Amino acid sequence: MRIGALLAAAALLAGCARGPSASAAGGTLVIATTGDADVLLPPVTSLETGINVSDLLFCRLAELKPGLNTVDDSGFRPVLARSWDHPDSLTIVFHLDPRARWQDGFPVTAADVAFTFRTYVDSAVNAPLAPFLAPIASVAARDSLTVAFRFRRWYPEQLYDATYHMRILPRHLLDTIPAARLATSAFARAPVGDGPYRFTSWRAGAEIAIAADTGWFLGRPGLDRLIWRVTPELPSAVSQLLAGEADAMEVIPSRGQLERVQQSRDVRLVPYPSPFYAGVVFNLRRAPFADRDVRRAIAMAVDRQTVVRSVFGPFADVAVGAVSPMQAVWSDSIRQLPFDTAAAARLLDGRGWRRAAGGLRARDGTPLRFTLLVPTSSQARQQAAVILQDELRRLGVDVRIQPVEFTVMERRTTTGDFDAAFVSRTTDPSPASLLQWWSPGAGANIGGYADPVFESLTAAALRARTRAEAAPRWRSALERLNDEAPAVFLFSPRNEAAVSTRVTGVTIRPDAWLATVAEWRVREPQRAASDRGAARP
Amino acid sequence: MSPWRLAARRFRRNRPAVRGAAVVLLLALGAVAAPLVTADPLAQPDPVRLQDRPPSLAHPLGTDPFSRDVLSRTLHGARVSLVVGVGAALLAVTLGAGVGLAAGLAGRRTDQLLMRGVDVAIALPRILLLLAVFAVWEDAPAAAVVGLIAATGWFQTSRIVRAAVLSLREADFVVAARAIGAPAAGIVRRHLLPHVAAPVIVSASLDVGNIILLEAGLSYLGLGVRPPTPTWGNMIMDGKDVLLSAPWVALAPGLALVATVVAFNLAADGLRDAFDPRTAA
Amino acid sequence: MLGFVARRLGFAVASVAAVVLITFVLVHAAPGAPMLGSPERTLASPETIARQRALFGLDRPLPEQLLRYAANLARGQLGESFVLHRPVADVLAEALPNTLLLGGVALVASLLLGLVVGATQAARHRSRTDTALGVATLVLYSVPVFWLGLVLLLVFGERLHWLPVSGMTSAGIHDSLSAAGRALDVARHLVLPAASLALVQAAAFARFQRSALVDTLGAAHIRSARAKGLPERAVILRHALRGALAPTITLAGLSVPYFLSGSVLVESIFGWPGLGRVAYDAIFARDYNVITAVALVAGVLVALGNLLADVAVAVADPRVRLSG
Repeated sequence: MRIGALLAAAALLAGCARGPSASAAGGTLVIATTGDADVLLPPVTSLETGINVSDLLFCRLAELKPGLNTVDDSGFRPVLARSWDHPDSLTIVFHLDPRARWQDGFPVTAADVAFTFRTYVDSAVNAPLAPFLAPIASVAARDSLTVAFRFRRWYPEQLYDATYHMRILPRHLLDTIPAARLATSAFARAPVGDGPYRFTSWRAGAEIAIAADTGWFLGRPGLDRLIWRVTPELPSAVSQLLAGEADAMEVIPSRGQLERVQQSRDVRLVPYPSPFYAGVVFNLRRAPFADRDVRRAIAMAVDRQTVVRSVFGPFADVAVGAVSPMQAVWSDSIRQLPFDTAAAARLLDGRGWRRAAGGLRARDGTPLRFTLLVPTSSQARQQAAVILQDELRRLGVDVRIQPVEFTVMERRTTTGDFDAAFVSRTTDPSPASLLQWWSPGAGANIGGYADPVFESLTAAALRARTRAEAAPRWRSALERLNDEAPAVFLFSPRNEAAVSTRVTGVTIRPDAWLATVAEWRVREPQRAASDRGAARP
Repeated sequence: MSPWRLAARRFRRNRPAVRGAAVVLLLALGAVAAPLVTADPLAQPDPVRLQDRPPSLAHPLGTDPFSRDVLSRTLHGARVSLVVGVGAALLAVTLGAGVGLAAGLAGRRTDQLLMRGVDVAIALPRILLLLAVFAVWEDAPAAAVVGLIAATGWFQTSRIVRAAVLSLREADFVVAARAIGAPAAGIVRRHLLPHVAAPVIVSASLDVGNIILLEAGLSYLGLGVRPPTPTWGNMIMDGKDVLLSAPWVALAPGLALVATVVAFNLAADGLRDAFDPRTAA
Repeated sequence: MLGFVARRLGFAVASVAAVVLITFVLVHAAPGAPMLGSPERTLASPETIARQRALFGLDRPLPEQLLRYAANLARGQLGESFVLHRPVADVLAEALPNTLLLGGVALVASLLLGLVVGATQAARHRSRTDTALGVATLVLYSVPVFWLGLVLLLVFGERLHWLPVSGMTSAGIHDSLSAAGRALDVARHLVLPAASLALVQAAAFARFQRSALVDTLGAAHIRSARAKGLPERAVILRHALRGALAPTITLAGLSVPYFLSGSVLVESIFGWPGLGRVAYDAIFARDYNVITAVALVAGVLVALGNLLADVAVAVADPRVRLSG
């Protein structure tokens, strides 16, 4: 069964996945960011900027196509691996592209791939993505260009797990460094990769620069240089963009700043589906929320449309469930609880929570009341919490908002010390990330949701052989979650990148906004002016 | 005429100082009366349709991104600024005067011990300590802000007071009082305190403005007195995001802040000149 | 004199030790945990985070952690940043010079500006110029530094495009410039943040210099210089300012805390990669080792400033040495 790949040259789009035609290459793209990178070593990098930079320095074996189909082999295109096949249901064999080179001239080999896997799963490295590699039993080099992945069990997303979570590392430069010291090694701050760009310089807290690898085996990338400039305050970062000192920002997460950009003639907003959803998660171990009807009543009493419009204006969508707009299974036709205050009131009445003096509900003298944790770092969530409080007061539910610092909220939610928490979740492209938050025993299942029906629905979805087969199963699981209401799913902020009008050919792959940067162009006439020497002598 | 009356007369003749004092009084009145004359500063009458509205009859200074009344919040913010500014300055000065008096009056060993302590403490990087404390203290009440700012701000006063006491201890009238066997407490109350009072009052009044600015800086970073309680610092932070589309949100607390600090500094300058006519030359 | 300095140095060391101890206990006793990857922002699982805590020894009792930290410190080791995965010493070595540059330039500028304004006011004592400058310095002195920074950024950076709004160098072209060009590039980026810091402090210095000079100009030796027929300008330059030198140094030494706290706000607004930024980020990420080390450095700077002030006072007024 050989499903794999065609010619690399035929590959379209997607970061490492391809280089464009050689014409009109050149120019510098300056990216404003609010945070510096941590390290540039894929297994340990966990801050946004670090991931963005190292994504362009290191390649995967294969890349997801823009449709983000994680189930079918046809959803992937070759990068370091020229092709792959499935000799049996537990094995994938990758054939590496013999042209692939490390930037110091050494070829990329099967030994590098095996070394990479060992590094990712080494507990001394403590890679954040290591749990996703758990289904892989071993990775072994068969010859210098052939490497075999052996899985513990069969499932349709094997190729996704084999390729998406790992970026291949150069063994010849890293195998002398003890695993525990990798993150602090000199390599992690000045890496040698195999991607379309090579590392140039990094001034901590200020600037990271990378330059096009003109001899890259899949073709020269479009822009000569990418420079990230760190500007911690969002308004200052946007000022930089408006002043023409920067060309692009990954996302502008504030309505006020979005409106500033909208008024500019030199910068435009590029929307793309976001990988986030936010909502109020109930602690099901605590009294009122163990009752499904109470949860449903609260969910039905919230006018989510109003919350979203008043907090975000046009810059967010109502969340349709525990799914982000980036994920292929997202659909606004997913069945959700209706906004129906009368039905909500009936539900609570039916469970014995009756209105007492002051209009608040109580049962056996216990008021219907809970504390909602909201992180101080998110103005949007604080704002939404207040509207929520107001709407629930009308239902007779007393919500106390407790703003807490982000790290404190993390600690309290992971230890179960809360009633309800206003959290945001980042998903990866696979719908299987649903299990991370909602299956029993998963560390991030903070509310302690456990539902056999949901379990069997997700299990069935995981067994689906094609995306077409999987989609309706995931949908049933999501609808079950909506019915059970372990959370009120509120909104997905719409991602809006800001890009200078002098940059053309801009497309954005939602899970990695710079994945297609190799085809972006800096428009010629302005290039001389805007690559300007800001220092006029 | 007593030195106090003299000082009072000099202060009254200092027009800028009197104006400053008047503004301070007005502010204090506004802050006290805030709950009577304005809406609830936390009320969000209509977070959907009343966001960032420009000034109107219903909301003379407009509304903020949460639809809250900016006038009400600015006046309530004055309460925090004044309580923190005046409270912390008074507390700091009291602490400093206490330690200074003790060091000046007690024996050499106590003096040494206290002043070494002050020498060490004076080098503490105040802002970092405050940042670290408030970053970890989730919902620090205003009292904690007052206490911590005072606790990290009394060192200079204690030096001033100690120096004043040391110079007075050998002054004729104190020596005389001691010679006739007057009790120590009486000497402190009748002779030392009045003379030490002048530098202490001046030092306190100068502190108020600085502390108000310090508190605003902490609030601006999202620390100290936490939202939703309005403080000028966190109001400016809220308004920063809509600085161009709804400038009143950040402008009102900003101007109130500058006016208040100017007023306190004018009054403080006046007090200093009143107690020490040489500087007013 | 040497004995005096040695004693003062002893206090400085003690106070730095106190700073480190207080900060260490504070940050470790705080609620919240270091941001070793957060499930909200990344896909890190709680299990991964727990393992990370163990790797850094954060699961040990506090006294044990303190002892280990002290032992490392004694060997000159500041530990490793949890978030940045690098030695804290490296982080500081990169950030400190930038803060010293920003603070140093702002300090010198504010001293000079303060002196000029103060001297002008004193020379034209009670004139209209004096009043006008008095009002200006009073208002500037009362403006929060972050507010001034925001206004300068909006006006001169974003609206007028005269100066860059953020960072320390121009993106991309800095490294290709000549040495002079690079210096100029940094200088252009320095203007707005340094001005935000300096203007407020210059107002404070000017207010001090004015009253000090007014005092001095009334003093006996100045009156005699005037009586000799020296022009007023010469009197101020030659006699009065000379007396102002020691208090100016004292003032400079004592203003270190102001520049440190100002740099936290200003560096964040203008994206200046200095110590204030490092401190701010570290506090919010609970990066314990970095917080403690920044407190250590800040403590040293403040202590040095105080030492400088004390020495200046002692040089100017020998009586202090006997009592201090």
